[in-house]
Amino acid sequence: MKGHFGKYGGRYVPEMLIPALEELDQAYAVAKKDKQFRKEFTDLLRNFSGRPTPLVFAKNLTQKLGGAKIYLKNEGLNHTGAHKITHCIGQALIAKRIGKTRLIAETGAGQHGVATATVAAKFGFSCTVYMGEVDIARQRPNVFLMEQLGAKVVPVPFGSKTLKDAVNAAIKDWIENVKDTHYVLGSVVGPHPFPTMNRDFQSIIGKEIRKQLKEAEGILPDYVIACVGGGSNAMGAFTDFIKESSVHLIGVEAGGRGKKIGQHAVRFPSGSVGVVEGYKSYFLQDSDGQLQKTHSISAGLDYPGIGPELSFLHDNNRVKFVSITDQEALEAVKTLSELEGIIPALESAHAVAHAIKIAPKLSKSKTIVVNLSGRGDKDIFILTKAFKDKKFYEFMKNLVEEGI
Amino acid sequence: MTKLEEKLQQIKKEERVGLMTHVVIGYPTLEETISIAKTMAENGVDIIELQIPFSDPLADGPTIMHACEKSLENGTKVKDAFIIMRQLTSQIPTPLLFMAYYNTVFKYGVEKFCKNAQAAGASGLIVPDMPIDEESEEHFLFFCRKYDLHNIQVISPASTEDRLKKNAEVASGFVYCTARQGITGAKDQLDQNITTYIEKVKSFFSVPVAIGFGISKRQHIQALKPHADIAVIGSAIINIINKSNESDTKQKIKQFLLELKS
Repeated sequence: MKGHFGKYGGRYVPEMLIPALEELDQAYAVAKKDKQFRKEFTDLLRNFSGRPTPLVFAKNLTQKLGGAKIYLKNEGLNHTGAHKITHCIGQALIAKRIGKTRLIAETGAGQHGVATATVAAKFGFSCTVYMGEVDIARQRPNVFLMEQLGAKVVPVPFGSKTLKDAVNAAIKDWIENVKDTHYVLGSVVGPHPFPTMNRDFQSIIGKEIRKQLKEAEGILPDYVIACVGGGSNAMGAFTDFIKESSVHLIGVEAGGRGKKIGQHAVRFPSGSVGVVEGYKSYFLQDSDGQLQKTHSISAGLDYPGIGPELSFLHDNNRVKFVSITDQEALEAVKTLSELEGIIPALESAHAVAHAIKIAPKLSKSKTIVVNLSGRGDKDIFILTKAFKDKKFYEFMKNLVEEGI
Repeated sequence: MTKLEEKLQQIKKEERVGLMTHVVIGYPTLEETISIAKTMAENGVDIIELQIPFSDPLADGPTIMHACEKSLENGTKVKDAFIIMRQLTSQIPTPLLFMAYYNTVFKYGVEKFCKNAQAAGASGLIVPDMPIDEESEEHFLFFCRKYDLHNIQVISPASTEDRLKKNAEVASGFVYCTARQGITGAKDQLDQNITTYIEKVKSFFSVPVAIGFGISKRQHIQALKPHADIAVIGSAIINIINKSNESDTKQKIKQFLLELKS
């Protein structure tokens, strides 16, 4: 059986989804070898999404910390503001090849939903995005954007009303409408072939890092750091370096507000192996296998599961996992904004915060690459609240008082 | 011959469509699960599936999902499922099956789950998200066999001939066919192509055929005759429970079952 990473991964779905997954698997296998497909994909990444994204030397931050050199892979400069657009383009092309006319997606922060709605508009698919009620309440701007792009955003009222429940709702929609619908799963999670396919699409991040750093410094990085929700940006940045044993790979999880259950989304070491949402991996779950509540200030990291390949790389000690709290991530947003002129997404700020922690302890001859998976525009409401920006609050109040 | 096989043979002999019903363990409460299952057994139900509530039930529609959520809020644990199974098998002769999502079985330990299910008197397991392709990794079918549990395979109208063939090779007890491509939930109409589909399934499977998903009326069951061996009623009874209070639940379920069979 394909799609296993050691004991992780697989395709644990009801029989009624197997034909669709087999169809997708075969279509992807054929497309991968097809020159025309690769050409179209590369062309869209360049001319629609704006790749390659820059690898920026964070000179001021490096000087301030006084240790290892820090480079930022600015995925936030992709169209729609994050790396998510890459696997959406790839999947939309595959969906077209197998004759689907409708795209559905789950979204947490809304980034993947916006990216899916964007490719749906561009390629002429109808589009439905599932989003937990809790996430809708904290990420309204992205709901507006998805609607502008012509997507229907369906609130998910059950479970914890966040990302995992949106995944469940999307899978159910797919089960019911599999004939004309492709499910654009937004991370390296779920049943085979999604973890492999999305990793392959995203692996361009690491390939570009390798090339760009070689041009800039003539070397391989010593550290590659990425935040990990499901793991799409992390697998994107890591994949090209897995075989390079000198490159340390670090995944940063959401430490949230504390170590208690429900206050964080740290799968290592709090999680245990389970089989949920179609794949085997580490999950935050109780002793009965019920998924537990999670929390992160960044909706994109607030997920109880993790990509199966990352579980495999964790067990092999190839990827090291650390966590960063909400507070540390907020401070990293400030630091990076002030020193480098880049406002990172709260998710990506977790990776930045860890680089800030370790860079001073490393020698100046070492190089760290931080994958900046997205830009921070989307977080404006969370940030203004966290930074207690009174003027912004007044602005909002006036806006509301003015009415529509 | 197992208790389930005897029941299936009896249904065949009587030339009728057997009736399988469903409860969510701990919904509305553990006590009521017992009394509801007994009511079913006393009113002509042939087989009952006891669903172990799970936080993320992939194949269930809103009705059963809501029942699972409520049951978990009430504090239902997996160990309660075994207690309920044991109590019921000592009180009613009806063959009982566990319906569970694979994480529940996996987390408990596949062998331990099967061993304890057998000890509690279960006749078999329905685990829809444990596909045959993962058997070499999970040994689920192996332990079902070891502990004399029927593994009830679930297939759908989307299943290809290749998948039907593979599932038929391991099928045990009966095969559970979903009446439509979709999730659980009571519907007004049955799919028009249902009999063609059942006949296609029968050409692959030697075990009896059960039809579920969307069945809620006497006419539905009539339409399945003589093609299907068993009709499965799930969400429709939970809808009845939702609409009644503790004092009249049993009466309403009884009435519903009598109407189905009339």
